[in-house]
Amino acid sequence: MAEDLVFMMGKYEARVPTDCLYSKSHLWLRKDGLRYQVGFTAYSVRLLQDVYFLDWSVDAGVQVFEKQEIGEVESSKALSTLYAPFDGRIVEFNELLLDDPSGINADGYGNGWLFTLETDAEPLTPEQYLEVLEGGWQKTQNMLKGQVN
Amino acid sequence: MAGQKKLTVVISQHQGKNPVKRQLEEELAMAFMIDPEIEVSIVPNLYDLSHDHTGMLFLQGIRGDVVVLSWLFPRATQWILDRTGVKGKAGTVFLVGEDDEEEEDQDEAAEKNPEAIGTLDVPDRLIYSIDLRASTDPQEFLAEIRRISEVTSTETVDLMSWIQGEPKKEQLERYLNPQEVFGIGSSQTGSIAEVEAEEKVSRRWYPVIDYDRCTNCMECIDFCLFGVYGVDALDRILVEAQDSCKKGCPACSRVCPENAIVFPQHKTPAIAGAAGEVAGLKIDLSQLFGGGDAVEMAARERDIELVRDGRDAVGLAIGIPKRQANTCGVRDDLDDLIDGLDDLDL
Repeated sequence: MAEDLVFMMGKYEARVPTDCLYSKSHLWLRKDGLRYQVGFTAYSVRLLQDVYFLDWSVDAGVQVFEKQEIGEVESSKALSTLYAPFDGRIVEFNELLLDDPSGINADGYGNGWLFTLETDAEPLTPEQYLEVLEGGWQKTQNMLKGQVN
Repeated sequence: MAGQKKLTVVISQHQGKNPVKRQLEEELAMAFMIDPEIEVSIVPNLYDLSHDHTGMLFLQGIRGDVVVLSWLFPRATQWILDRTGVKGKAGTVFLVGEDDEEEEDQDEAAEKNPEAIGTLDVPDRLIYSIDLRASTDPQEFLAEIRRISEVTSTETVDLMSWIQGEPKKEQLERYLNPQEVFGIGSSQTGSIAEVEAEEKVSRRWYPVIDYDRCTNCMECIDFCLFGVYGVDALDRILVEAQDSCKKGCPACSRVCPENAIVFPQHKTPAIAGAAGEVAGLKIDLSQLFGGGDAVEMAARERDIELVRDGRDAVGLAIGIPKRQANTCGVRDDLDDLIDGLDDLDL
């Protein structure tokens, strides 16, 4: 397997595995039969820190459209609404995380997957995602700065 | 000397009639009233006061140090007052929300953006802004105000030692309590000046600029299509037509690259003027996870108001900042910030 790409968040190395595809909203998608398994990228997890609450506002099996609100996540440092990365259908949520979301931190690219999605969209390649990260880093820092200050 | 100078304390009431909040206001007012060191006044919610409201005139008439208690973030209080000409240096307040006790950044100097244009004509006196949400225990507020009272009376002694000759007691009193001129305050021990009066105060909605952050970049004036912003004689940005602002719309605050625009009543703390206080709150990453970025959100909010006014939506076509162009520089402190997220104890 090819080596992971890496994006430097300050001094932190955020891994971008090359066996996944990505969304601009910082989720990874890994082809699993007809659908994708979807989870938070290392970049997301780094900003979230320890996730301790995850909640979905839609049911498994429903059609979603890109940017539709589908749930919420809360961590020790942050909270966020979660949005569908692409138009499609959410097939299943990772039940294990609902009881104990720490899998997101422990194994974000593996057992910490969030849900599975059927979609015809074309996710970003690792290289494209890396470009998104590089292009948005300044803005992300400004956003954080605006909120932390 | 101590005891001659009274500390002026102003309580800015909550907008609503929430009985719990009213009760805290009243308990504090009663306690201050019987304190011989303190001169207390009550005004309606500062943010809602027009420039010529009696309460605002009263505040403008205070010359010495003053403590303002309000249901607003201290940054909001400071800049609302600044806008109406009630200026002073920000006094250091120790009573902040319980989650912030470890915060070392309460020093107001640390908040300043080195490129900020600052406010002008700041007299040499201190304004202490205290958030009434910092505690539910009146005793904590009393303790803090007594502490401030001691600090300020000490400073007065130092000041007096500078002056040649001994002023008479009455002269000193008059000098230190000029609000008597306005016939509102009273120097009688234990008096309470209730400025609430008959003047009707309705809820207002407008932006407040934090000049310790504002760099006069003019993005807000370009973005707002409702004529809220203007410039003063020195070409400094100014919230000129406060009441032209659209109720509930915080769009300009989102496009401000320095987060210098405060909407004190907005539900998002970062927009409502939370400063060091964000410590108790959390970072909202929704933008990052697909919630649309601030500029998109701002344009959407602006469109809603335009359409409501019978005008055409403009989307991202007008007044959208092209600021990313030259900001790729160093900004190492931000790298540190990210690396330091663990230590920030947010």
